[in-house]
Amino acid sequence: MSTATYTIDATHLTITASPVRTPKIGRVVKAEWTKLRTLSSTWRTAVMATAISIALGTILCVSQVQQWSNMTAQQRLTFDPTSCSLFGVVFVGAVMLAALGVRSVTAEYSTGMIRSTFTATPTRRRVLAAKAGVTAAFVFPVALVADVVSFEVGQRIFTGKHLQVSFGHPGVLQAVLFGAVAVSLIAVIGVGLGGLIRHTAGATTALVLVIVGGVTLGQLLPAGLRQYVPGTALQAAVTVNHSAGLLKPGTAVVVLGVYAAIALAAASIRMSHRDA
Amino acid sequence: MIEAQHLTKRYGKTVAVNEVSFTVKPGQVTGFLGPNGAGKSTTMRMILGLDAPTSGEVRVGGRPYHQLGDPLRSVGALLDAKAIVGGRSAANHLMWLADSNGIARRRVSEVLDIVGLSDVAGKKVGTFSLGMNQRLGIAAALLGDPETLMFDEPINGLDPEGILWIRNLMKSLALEGRTVFLSSHLMSEMAQTADHLIVIGRGRIIADAGTDDFINRHTAASVRVRAVEQDVLAEALTQRGALIDHSPDGAMAVTGMDSAAIGGVAYAHAVTLIELAPLGSSLEDAYFDLTKHETDYAAAQLVGATQGA
Repeated sequence: MSTATYTIDATHLTITASPVRTPKIGRVVKAEWTKLRTLSSTWRTAVMATAISIALGTILCVSQVQQWSNMTAQQRLTFDPTSCSLFGVVFVGAVMLAALGVRSVTAEYSTGMIRSTFTATPTRRRVLAAKAGVTAAFVFPVALVADVVSFEVGQRIFTGKHLQVSFGHPGVLQAVLFGAVAVSLIAVIGVGLGGLIRHTAGATTALVLVIVGGVTLGQLLPAGLRQYVPGTALQAAVTVNHSAGLLKPGTAVVVLGVYAAIALAAASIRMSHRDA
Repeated sequence: MIEAQHLTKRYGKTVAVNEVSFTVKPGQVTGFLGPNGAGKSTTMRMILGLDAPTSGEVRVGGRPYHQLGDPLRSVGALLDAKAIVGGRSAANHLMWLADSNGIARRRVSEVLDIVGLSDVAGKKVGTFSLGMNQRLGIAAALLGDPETLMFDEPINGLDPEGILWIRNLMKSLALEGRTVFLSSHLMSEMAQTADHLIVIGRGRIIADAGTDDFINRHTAASVRVRAVEQDVLAEALTQRGALIDHSPDGAMAVTGMDSAAIGGVAYAHAVTLIELAPLGSSLEDAYFDLTKHETDYAAAQLVGATQGA
């Protein structure tokens, strides 16, 4: 057997095999990105979520400044100008952006287009992973912009009482960054809920319950467990002044990551074992 | 090429598809014919790997669907033209499909051209009529230039011009050597489009034959006869092996002999004919006869005459 023959064979083999051997996950991601960016509602949601997040953060900051003189010494001591300014992003912005994740799945189930998706990509968990990845990648910069603007606006408002902090302040940059990471993880939870519930209204309601309602319902839990409620963990991710009853920001992000992984895994099992 | 072997799908106690085996060959249009609820769509979903068979298996191009690399390049399917998110333009809808299987984006405008939607490529799909959606669905099926094409009830809701267009498209795709599998509940439509018929009723295959063959076998031509000496003629014809049905208006429907032979018999027996009219063989009747026992909701049940199955 000569080396020359071997080389020719190998070349030939590579050429015939190449259309099948290309990694597929890249194609699914590209397809899901095309889907997300070609809906005008995606961009409308991004703009609305940013605007409302900033507006709500502003309102809370203004009200805090106005109440400052009535606050107790303890309240003043634990006051966190960073997390206060990011309130709009982590509560309302997170839910609005996570709804994009919900709809990326439920819109296809409710119209039946999911069948086209699954005939194009028969490996369903790949579709789900691509939806989660693309949604998170889209939500992250949006949430980051909302974080940065909300922070800046909030600190301007606090200047009057000399409460403002800057990006240079220890923990601030991390809080702003973690806020965007946490919101992206909530969006992944949205994708998971969409896959589990399949109906836009039901899955969105579940999302609101988990994020916003969970904080209230969490009050019923023992103190040690309360901090693991998703909405509370979300709040913890953006704190700078560590307060009792909240996880450390890094831990909070990890906890949200675990929730996101559980939601995706559950959705993946449900989607793979059901007829489409 | 589509090969189904003992394909079965149960939903609880209901058997939607029962031990179905068939082969859909390339180079011809194969019609998948059956009443509504016969199991056509379920079978098609199993071919595409959307529904898991309870037992049996089906292969496309020699492989189970989920083993096809870039399946849209091997199989193009239109299941439900309305099953589409309305907020995207036609071109963008095709674009994500192209991206998902590594198909060049220029192919999007090519297929839009083929189906005649180029002018509305940028319009949102939600504003489309059913006919436009059908064309878009066909464009999606053609996107990967696949060897096998499947269409579930593609002419539903189309105007005559659209029906003619689809019919010609199917035929030309088959002429190119592709496997074309087309479902319908309309016999007359299938007779004009399909080269081969697979008839399904209540989840079972009840016929699998060439269309011409099917027509010849299932539509016995009859001749309407009236004569002055009708009884004499009836007896003579029966002796020669003809089958006679007496119609309420006094005429006979004779099967198994053509008009020339009947005329000859009448002459030999000095019978005076009043009427001798060959009746066109009704394919629709044949289909109805074949499937009436297989229809889930037989009209007979409403009349209360017989039981459906």
